[in-house]
Amino acid sequence: MKNEYIPYPAIIEAIQTESFDTRTLKVRFKDKRLRDSFDYKPGQFVEISVLGAGEAPISITSSPSRKGFLEFTVRAVGKVTKAIHKLKVGDTVYLRGPYGNSFPFEEAKNRNLLFVAGGIGLPPLRSVINMAFDNRDDFGNIKILYGAKAPDELCFKEELKIWQGIPQAEVLLTVDKPANGWKGNIGVVTTLWKKTEISPKDAIAYVCGPPIMIKFVLQKLLESGFKPDNIYVSLERYMKCGIGKCGHCNIGDKFACIDGPVFSFGQIKELPDKEREI
Amino acid sequence: MKSALINKSDIRLLLKEASREWNIYAPLEVQGGDVNFCCLPKENIKEALNRVTLDDKWIPVPPKDLFFPQLESLFEIKKNKIEETVEYSKKLLFGIKAYDYQGILFSDEFFKRTFQDNYYLSRTKDRLVIIKSCLTPPRQNACFCTSAKTGPFLDKDFDIQLVDIGEAYLVEIGSKRGEDFILKYKRFFKLCSNSEVDKALTVKEKAVDSIELKIDFSRAVELMKGKEPPEEIYKKIAQRCIHCGGCIYVCPTCTCFNVFDDKENEAMIRYRNWDTCVFEGFTREASGFNPRETKWLRASRRYEHKLWYDYKTTGKSGCVGCGRCLTSCPVELGMSKFIQEITA
Ligand SMILES: Cc1cc2nc3c(=O)[nH]c(=O)nc-3n(C[C@H](O)[C@H](O)[C@H](O)COP(=O)(O)OP(=O)(O)OC[C@H]3O[C@@H](n4cnc5c(N)ncnc54)[C@H](O)[C@@H]3O)c2cc1C
Ligand code: SF4
Ligand code: SF4
Ligand code: FES
Repeated sequence: MKNEYIPYPAIIEAIQTESFDTRTLKVRFKDKRLRDSFDYKPGQFVEISVLGAGEAPISITSSPSRKGFLEFTVRAVGKVTKAIHKLKVGDTVYLRGPYGNSFPFEEAKNRNLLFVAGGIGLPPLRSVINMAFDNRDDFGNIKILYGAKAPDELCFKEELKIWQGIPQAEVLLTVDKPANGWKGNIGVVTTLWKKTEISPKDAIAYVCGPPIMIKFVLQKLLESGFKPDNIYVSLERYMKCGIGKCGHCNIGDKFACIDGPVFSFGQIKELPDKEREI
Repeated sequence: MKSALINKSDIRLLLKEASREWNIYAPLEVQGGDVNFCCLPKENIKEALNRVTLDDKWIPVPPKDLFFPQLESLFEIKKNKIEETVEYSKKLLFGIKAYDYQGILFSDEFFKRTFQDNYYLSRTKDRLVIIKSCLTPPRQNACFCTSAKTGPFLDKDFDIQLVDIGEAYLVEIGSKRGEDFILKYKRFFKLCSNSEVDKALTVKEKAVDSIELKIDFSRAVELMKGKEPPEEIYKKIAQRCIHCGGCIYVCPTCTCFNVFDDKENEAMIRYRNWDTCVFEGFTREASGFNPRETKWLRASRRYEHKLWYDYKTTGKSGCVGCGRCLTSCPVELGMSKFIQEITA
C-alpha cells in the first residue's frame, strides 16, 4: 500500500522572478522513473515540502503537454512559501501528488475559452492555457483577462506577450495602480468587459483569483449570459493533507482537496450558503 | 449466533495468557479513580491486571488514540533518507463499549475512504475487540446510545460481546476472528445452555430500558436535510461556547488533524496532531482570509458535519451517542442538548 504522506525529492533547475514576492521554480524529480511516470492534469496541485518548514499546497503551473519537469509559481506569504523563496538552483524540494480534480479539458474541445485571473490566480490557469495552445487546432478563440495590483505584480510577463501573438488569442491586462509607462487598462479585472466582447456562445470560462475578485467576475459572467455549468472556478481553502483526511478544507460535505479545487459555479451553488464566500 | 460462557474470575487469567501474543488495551483504574483505556505493560502485567475494572464505569476518553494518536510522527528524514514511522502491533481491545466500537468502525471507514491512511490502517490491521457494555448507564444525563442505535448491545458486526449474567459472562461470538480467539484460548471458556442465553436476553432488555435520555436522531437528521436549523440557535450556542475544543478531543469520531515539521538534532520529523474545526485558525489562510472566522459558523460546522454531512456521505450519523461532549464541556453544551433544542 502506497503511503500517500511520503514526499519525493526533486531538484530545482531554474528560478524565475515574477515580482517582488513571487517566483516560478522549475523542478525535476530525482528519481528518473518518477520523472517519466508522474502524470497530471491541468488544475491539479502538489504538496511541496521544505524540510523543517513544512508543507503547502501549490498548483502545478506547467502544462502536462510539456513533459519531464514541473513548474510552480509561489508567492511568499508565510512559513513554507518564504522557505521556498530562500532556495537556490540545485537545492531539493520534496513533492507528493498530484492531487485534486482538474479543469475541464477534453470537454472544452472545439469551444471558445475565456480565462479570467487575478494576481496569483493565473498560475493554475497557465497549465490549461499552455495545454490548449499546444493543441491549438482543437479550440476556438482563446481570451485571457488578467489583473494585478500593479504592473510589477503581473506573472509570466514574457509569456503574456507570446500568448498575445498566437492567432485567435487575445490577452487583456489591467492593474489597480499603474506605474510609469503603463499603457494598459486601469481598474479591476471586470473593467476589461468594456474592452472586448465577452460572448457565452460555445464558450467555457475558467476563473481563479482572490474570493472578492471571483465574486465580481461570476456576476459579470452571469450577466453576459454564461450558464453556471460553463463557469469553472478553482477554490482555495486552507489545506494540510491534500488527500481528504485532515478536514481543514471542508465545505459542506465536500473536501476542496479531493472534490475540488475546481468546481463549476453550478456545483458551488449547491454548497451551503454560509460555508461559501461566493 | 454462537455463544459460550466465561467465569468472571477467569477474565484476568485469560487476559494474562493472551498478553503473550497481544498488546492488551483495557479499562484501567488510574490515580484519582478515573478509568482510561491503557495498554497493559507486559513487564508488570500482574499489577496492571488488578487495576482492570469490570464495572460499568464512565470512561472519559474514547479509545480513538489507539489508532489515531493525539500526536504522532509520520516520517523522519536523516541525511536525505526518509524513514516511515508506521506502527503495527497485534491489539486486543478488552472492555470496549458498543458505541465506542461503532465509533471505531466509523473512523475505519473514513480512513479507508478514497486515499488510504497508512498510519491509521496499519494500527488496525490485527485487531480483536471484546465488547462489554454497561447494564446501567454510568451517567444517566449524558449516555444516549439507544437513541443513536449504537448500543448498549450489538446484534452483528462485532468480534466478541460479553453479557453480564451474574457470576459469569455470556460470550457472544460475532466473527471468524472472534471464533479463532475463543478456540485458541478454549480452556477459559465453557459451553453455555439455553437458559443462560435466555438470561442474557433479559439482561439486555433491562439494560436498554435503563437508559433514560431519549434523543430524536431521525428527526434531527430530517431537519438538517431540509431547511437547516435557524441561525439563531447556532448564534446562541456560539455565545456560550468558549471554543476550547474539549468536545472534539473526547469525541470518538472527530478525526481532523494538523501537520507540522520539527527539527531534532540531525533529523527532520513530520508530525500530525489533533486539530479542530472550532478553532479560529483551522480555516485561516495565509492571505488572512478565513471562511469560518465568525464564531457561529464554527459552532454550526460541528453539528452539521456529524448529523447531516456524515449521514449524507455514509448513511450513518457521525455521532455515536457517547455523551462525552456534554460531560467535558465547561459551559454544558453537547450533541444531545443541541438535538433536544432543534427538535423541541
Ligand atoms: C489548491 C491550492 C493551490 C494553491 N496554489 C498556489 C500557487 O500556485 N501559488 C501560491 O503561491 N500559492 C498557492 N496556494 C496558496 C498556498 O498554499 C498558501 O499560500 C500556502 O499554503 C501558505 O503557506 P505558508 O506556510 O507560506 O503560510 P502560513 O501562513 O505560515 O501557513 C502555514 C500553513 O497553513 C496552510 N495554509 C495557509 N494558507 C493557506 C492557503 N491559502 N491555502 C491552503 N493552505 C494554506 C498551509 O498548510 C501552510 O503550510 C494554493 C492553495 C491551494 C489550496
Ligand atoms: S458528538 Fe458528542 S455524543 Fe456524539 S459521539 Fe461525539 S462526543 Fe459522543
Ligand atoms: S467543549 Fe463546549 S466550550 Fe469547548 S469547544 Fe466544545 S462546545 Fe465549545
Ligand atoms: S486538505 Fe486535508 S482534507 Fe482536504
